[in-house]
Amino acid sequence: MKHSDNFFDETPFQTAGPFLHIGCSPNLIGINNIFKNDLGVFPFEKEKHSNIISISGSVFDGNSEALNDVMIETWQCNDKGEYLDGQGFARFVPNEETKKFTLKTIKPGAVIGLDGKFQSPHILMSISSRGINMNLNTRIYFEDDDLSNDTTLSIINQKDKINTLIAKKIDKFNYIFDVYLQGNKETVFLDI
Amino acid sequence: MKSLIRRNFDKQPIANYPDYKSSSLRAPKNKKIYIPSSISEISGPKFNKNIIGKLDNDLTLNYSHNNKVPIGQKIIVHGKIVDQYYKPIEGALIEIWQANASGKYLHPNDQNDVPIDPNFCGSGRYITSSNGYYEFRTIQPGAYPYPNRGIEWRPMHIHFSIFGKSFGQRLITQMYFQGDPLIKLCPMINSIPNKKAKKSLIGSLDLSLSETDKLLAYKFDIILRGYNQTFFENRKEGL
Ligand SMILES: [Fe+3]
Repeated sequence: MKHSDNFFDETPFQTAGPFLHIGCSPNLIGINNIFKNDLGVFPFEKEKHSNIISISGSVFDGNSEALNDVMIETWQCNDKGEYLDGQGFARFVPNEETKKFTLKTIKPGAVIGLDGKFQSPHILMSISSRGINMNLNTRIYFEDDDLSNDTTLSIINQKDKINTLIAKKIDKFNYIFDVYLQGNKETVFLDI
Repeated sequence: MKSLIRRNFDKQPIANYPDYKSSSLRAPKNKKIYIPSSISEISGPKFNKNIIGKLDNDLTLNYSHNNKVPIGQKIIVHGKIVDQYYKPIEGALIEIWQANASGKYLHPNDQNDVPIDPNFCGSGRYITSSNGYYEFRTIQPGAYPYPNRGIEWRPMHIHFSIFGKSFGQRLITQMYFQGDPLIKLCPMINSIPNKKAKKSLIGSLDLSLSETDKLLAYKFDIILRGYNQTFFENRKEGL
């Protein structure tokens, strides 16, 4: 990419800080009479789905403490591998006390990119909070899928690192996905 | 297929910035792994304009009770959401949040010993039309103290969250105010190593609007990532 007079730098990020709920999920903190609904409460509300899965986990800091002041956003396709307008986006925070988040959604399908490259089913995840100067991006894959030909995982190319992106299956409808910001289990974060 | 222009991390904040204490336990130690754009990153949530109410971008009125207005100096914050070629982005969702005139957030975790304003919640949102333009009416936020290396002061600022066309364009940032002496002391701004990039977060006093006989305006343009066009042989455009 040629840099010229007509080419500008992206605006720098800044931390979302501890009070992000005021702008992003006001109803959650009791500011109920301003916006009718918080955005991203359920990613596929317009469709009827019987096979809802639930992905639960925590975000751990460098002291292995689970955080309750992070905001998580996810973006995904539907079960047929299609990205749709107005669906597929979720925004949630961990529970105050249990410090666990739960994403209830449909399991995404495999995606073929316009360039023909294969991607195993996955969900994009972005994490923001106090102390995070620039949102952290990662992906959720699923233990019970064939992950051997996925384009992104083949770039990461190290088994223990790849494992940080794979949700563990508990039963047919439940998965666990923990995020480690630091430490020997540090999650792989992506420059997307 | 188009791909997002690669991020220039020299113009972005350093993740682990010791002067900003909270970053030390939350900044990953490993380098981010670059992955080329796939359809997952170049697609993104679209928000329907009909979710936006008439007063959603007027924080001087959107939480007023019994027609009472919030306390403080009324301001306009406006600008454009553009890509890296300065092409306006239509349909971008902007969400903002801020402290009231005394530097207090309407949030259960804000411990500052200054009053809340019963007519101000500090939350606003807007979706840009075809020229990428946005405008908020609000109250000049107060500076506020917070624990860092001892107690330090945040310069006056407004938090911005923006969704453009794709998940890879997602941006969360803060706008500061021209002339605030606290800016140069702030470790969050100083975590950005590049001087010009730092300066781009400062909204500039703008006396060009017709209403500035009644209220001051600040201009803040926001640049989201642009796209490269790459073409693949033997493949048709589009899905
Ligand atoms: Fe703040």
